[in-house]
Amino acid sequence: MSALLLTGNEAVAYAAKLAKIEVLAYYPITPAFPAMEKISKFIEDGEMKTQFVRAECDHSALAAALGAALAGSRTLTVTNSQGLLYMTEVVYHTAGLRQPVVMAVANRAVSAPHSRFPEHGDAISQDASGWIQLFCENNQEVLDTTLQAFKIAETCRLPVMVNYEGYIQSHTQEEVEIPEQAKVDAFLPFTRIAALDVDNPQGVNTVTSPEFYMDYKYRQDEAMQQALALIPEVAAAFGREFGRDWGGLLEAYRMADAEHAFIAMGSAVGDARAAIDALRAAGRKAGLIKVRSFRPFPAAALRGLLKPVKLVTVLDKDIVFGAGGALASQVKAALYGFCAPYVHSYIAGLGGRDVGAREIRRMIELTEERADQPAACEWFGL
Amino acid sequence: MTRDIRSLPQDDLFGPGNAGCRGCGAAIAGRQAMKVLGPRTIVTIPASCMATLSGSNQRTAWKVPFYHTLFEIAPAVSAGIRAALTAQGIKDVNVVSWAGDAGTADIGFQSLSGAAERDDDIIHVCYDNEMYMNTGGQSGSQTPLYAATSNQQKGKQTRKKDMLAIMAAHGAGYVASAAISHPWDLMEKLKKAAAWRGFSYIHILAPCHRGWGIPADQTVAVARKAVECGLWELYEIENGERRRTHAPSFIPVAEYLLAQSRFKHLTAGQIEELQAAVNRHYGRKEVK
Repeated sequence: MSALLLTGNEAVAYAAKLAKIEVLAYYPITPAFPAMEKISKFIEDGEMKTQFVRAECDHSALAAALGAALAGSRTLTVTNSQGLLYMTEVVYHTAGLRQPVVMAVANRAVSAPHSRFPEHGDAISQDASGWIQLFCENNQEVLDTTLQAFKIAETCRLPVMVNYEGYIQSHTQEEVEIPEQAKVDAFLPFTRIAALDVDNPQGVNTVTSPEFYMDYKYRQDEAMQQALALIPEVAAAFGREFGRDWGGLLEAYRMADAEHAFIAMGSAVGDARAAIDALRAAGRKAGLIKVRSFRPFPAAALRGLLKPVKLVTVLDKDIVFGAGGALASQVKAALYGFCAPYVHSYIAGLGGRDVGAREIRRMIELTEERADQPAACEWFGL
Repeated sequence: MTRDIRSLPQDDLFGPGNAGCRGCGAAIAGRQAMKVLGPRTIVTIPASCMATLSGSNQRTAWKVPFYHTLFEIAPAVSAGIRAALTAQGIKDVNVVSWAGDAGTADIGFQSLSGAAERDDDIIHVCYDNEMYMNTGGQSGSQTPLYAATSNQQKGKQTRKKDMLAIMAAHGAGYVASAAISHPWDLMEKLKKAAAWRGFSYIHILAPCHRGWGIPADQTVAVARKAVECGLWELYEIENGERRRTHAPSFIPVAEYLLAQSRFKHLTAGQIEELQAAVNRHYGRKEVK
């Protein structure tokens, strides 16, 4: 085991190397491109035996990764924002074909107006696509989650997105432990499944009539439900092997006797820990729930945690226009008919606007001030 | 290749059970191609008649792996398939992206251009019926000048984009035109493409009798007229060397055009203009 100072992008590259991907396909985009360059360098230097498809666009990059998966190879691509939106058609298609492609997404705002800066809007735009969507708090978790993503994808035959925020994570160095190759090999054995195999020819994605289509979709959703059990299992197995368990679907931090829960995904979780610690030091019963898996959404796990809670504050680094924050909507849908805490939510940090511990603490206080008014979704930090 | 029909495999790797119309030019092209590509072939086909007629639900008309892709991605998924096969040490498999004129020249052009420039070891086949037949016969870039289509009923007013020249300009090592009326020529070219290491491109004229307005039993005959009048030239470019593979007999272009209802409205002047273009191309003196 060795530790290096790595950016989130480099953490993805080390994970790709450790997972021994057979095919890499990508099209450069900011801020994910250093991850791509790093993997290409590993290949050029002979440190990875990987075939590289230098795609001419993002849409073809995922298509090439999909082709490799259909031919039975472990594969990865990297993208974000406009690239992810351009891929959208292939994103849905890959999930429908049940191919275990892993995609690292350095979350970035979506145009217009043009922005190169972080938020979750790109990933949220794909929330109905059939991909498992995991969000990482720090760069160690980016590496660990990318390794776990292959195991999850190859077990339940669903593609997995590993999300880490542009710049805040993609370009910021942190100390990251690099697991030993032999231990990763043991954790990630590869069973080749080739849908396209000349020794076992079959038709893939033939025209499907109404008496079949819906059943395929049911199986896809069933796999997503199975992933609710699989993701924590894989996280726990990883924890046993490597000493780091990031909590599976979600992580509860200082929630034991909490009366007010703060819920967030991604890089803001680190700041939220500091905010909760400060509130606890001031004698306030506040806790934190980090949502690690947005798809599948851990409704049942969340209900268990929120049943005794009176107030909930949700941070969304995304906006679903006309509907509010995506995470808050999911939280409320999970609780409805089960328990009814006061859920107030905030749209914040869009296009890179800063959200730190101070802002998070202010959101928590604002929710308490608002608690005698109808709960709402408000914009924070305008 | 010995031009003896007994030398061809009896087994059809594509064809039986396909859902094409009787006399479908695309299906004929597929059958001919598979005679030489053989069983160790993976075929990817984007949205098109060919993908639709190739199988539905749990049935397929292919005896080789067949993948019905999204409209724009057949060359890109084929590049990924080739990369995976290479990674797995599998060297004896043909990877073929087989697209219509839209999936090749229009909506699919970007991924095709990418694969050609990267010199991915795939064969791209365009089966060209010169209009968007899977959606009822609208104009596309491969629709020829003056041809009437479902959304340009008075005839298209711009020329057909020269895909063979465009693919040759990519520096692709092997580029060839073909027609379903000349199966030996077609099969010999596919055989060369299969042996070629790197990107190769075959553009097959495959008439659609519904779109062209000809009887269903005239698909092959009208393709032959296209070749013999000189409007569809059979040639190949191998390592930059261009070679005409069939000498046309130069029947008048009118004989080809007026056999089809899509050209019925052409004026004598327009027919003369097209004849003059053929004459210029082949360096022939004015002939009626």
